[in-house]
Amino acid sequence: MTTTHPSGRTAIVTGGAGGIGRGIVRRLAADGFTVVLADLDETAVHEAAAEIGGRVEPHLLDVTDPASRRSVVARADALGGADLLVNCAGVLRDARVRRLEPALFRRLTEINLIGPLALARLVGPGMGARGGGAIVNLASRAWLGTFGSTAYSTAKGGLVGATRSLALELGPRGITVNAVAPGFVDTPMTDGLPPEVRRRTLDAIPVGRAGRPEDVADAVAFLADAGYVTGQVLVACGGRSIGDPYLARAS
Amino acid sequence: MSAPTVEAVVRGHGAATRLVTDALAVARPTSPSAVVVPAVPDLRPLDELTDERLATDVGDTLDAVLADVRAVLDGAVHRLVFVLPAAPLMATAGGAAASAVTGGVLSMARTLAIELAREQVAVNVVAVDPRATTVAALAGQLGVLLGEGGEAITGQEIYLTAGTDLGRIRP
Ligand SMILES: NC(=O)c1ccc[n+]([C@@H]2O[C@H](COP(=O)([O-])OP(=O)(O)OC[C@H]3O[C@@H](n4cnc5c(N)ncnc54)[C@H](O)[C@@H]3O)[C@@H](O)[C@H]2O)c1
Repeated sequence: MTTTHPSGRTAIVTGGAGGIGRGIVRRLAADGFTVVLADLDETAVHEAAAEIGGRVEPHLLDVTDPASRRSVVARADALGGADLLVNCAGVLRDARVRRLEPALFRRLTEINLIGPLALARLVGPGMGARGGGAIVNLASRAWLGTFGSTAYSTAKGGLVGATRSLALELGPRGITVNAVAPGFVDTPMTDGLPPEVRRRTLDAIPVGRAGRPEDVADAVAFLADAGYVTGQVLVACGGRSIGDPYLARAS
Repeated sequence: MSAPTVEAVVRGHGAATRLVTDALAVARPTSPSAVVVPAVPDLRPLDELTDERLATDVGDTLDAVLADVRAVLDGAVHRLVFVLPAAPLMATAGGAAASAVTGGVLSMARTLAIELAREQVAVNVVAVDPRATTVAALAGQLGVLLGEGGEAITGQEIYLTAGTDLGRIRP
């Protein structure tokens, strides 16, 4: 369902050129937001903005670079200031703990955890001054723990922890802070999975299918406007986190 | 006849390190064990979380936790416990960086519990609160987790907070 809002509200979506990010940008644009589609992939940024059309502003962003973070917030300021920040940029590369390279661990912390926190700090004051806003962080059901995923799950768990404390801190300024924790979603991030792993993962999803970017966009769009919901993790995983996520491995 | 006591390794420089060493003197672990006590950053308003602070308070702290974990796993432990401060773990205003670290370690512990189960390593988190957690309370809990039968408890979070966290949603 798509609703049109009266406002000329502005959203920043990091990772906006990725699989889930595109779905979120498309949905927010349809909901009446002007969207700054920010991503590291220069070609994809322009291609995605052109594909979606409407009031979508392509912007090159590296969430690990402080100057680049300031520039995306300045771009939103020029459009009236960010009313919504969706921290969706993320990277999934990992290894079992004994083989995990410390440099990879740090890289995932910087992209998946520190980048989102730094952006929250940059948009917070403006949102507060304008009477409020919303921050939605893309966590992952890996926050509940996932085999072979020390770096990714640590970063996503950190993001959930920060989401909760930020909700307490920013609530008095009218800013809600929530997380969406997707399960398995068909995107370039999950394209590379071996067919066997993919099959076993699908077997463990009660609704019987992989998630789609629109499924995650629905959750983000809800939280963008849910002024009385804050500090929560909305798990969009087709029920996998309620059943046994390792069901298939055991059988 | 009960199993002989073995010495547990303590890593990390968190505020609860002294509490942990005092508790271990009483707890009498019977399995090769390690307790990691991450140095969780102080509370600080979001506005003061500069890029440099995020790099040190969150990035360097989590790096240190990973290094501690790798070091203790090299030593063939069977029980690994992370001791974390309950306040940022549950959430607290001004605790964005501290909660990023505690939330990160909580999820790391869950992942390690899943991953290391096949090696018979049990991994848990114990949350402590300086106002509520006595040496006896922590010693009792560590005695269970690091003692006989402790292998049945893994991937859990145990709050030694005398109920101060009740009525709240856990992370
Ligand atoms: N696909 C899934 O199954 C799944 C599940 C749970 C959570 N997630 C999370 O959802 C988010 C989106 O994932 P996706 O599946 O769309 O992945 P994706 O790989 O399709 O998209 C991620 C996007 O982030 C961008 N990016 C990477 N590093 C960046 C940086 N330093 N600065 C700016 N942008 C950067 C990439 O260019 C890419 O466009 C991620 O945070 C991911 O962790 C995905």
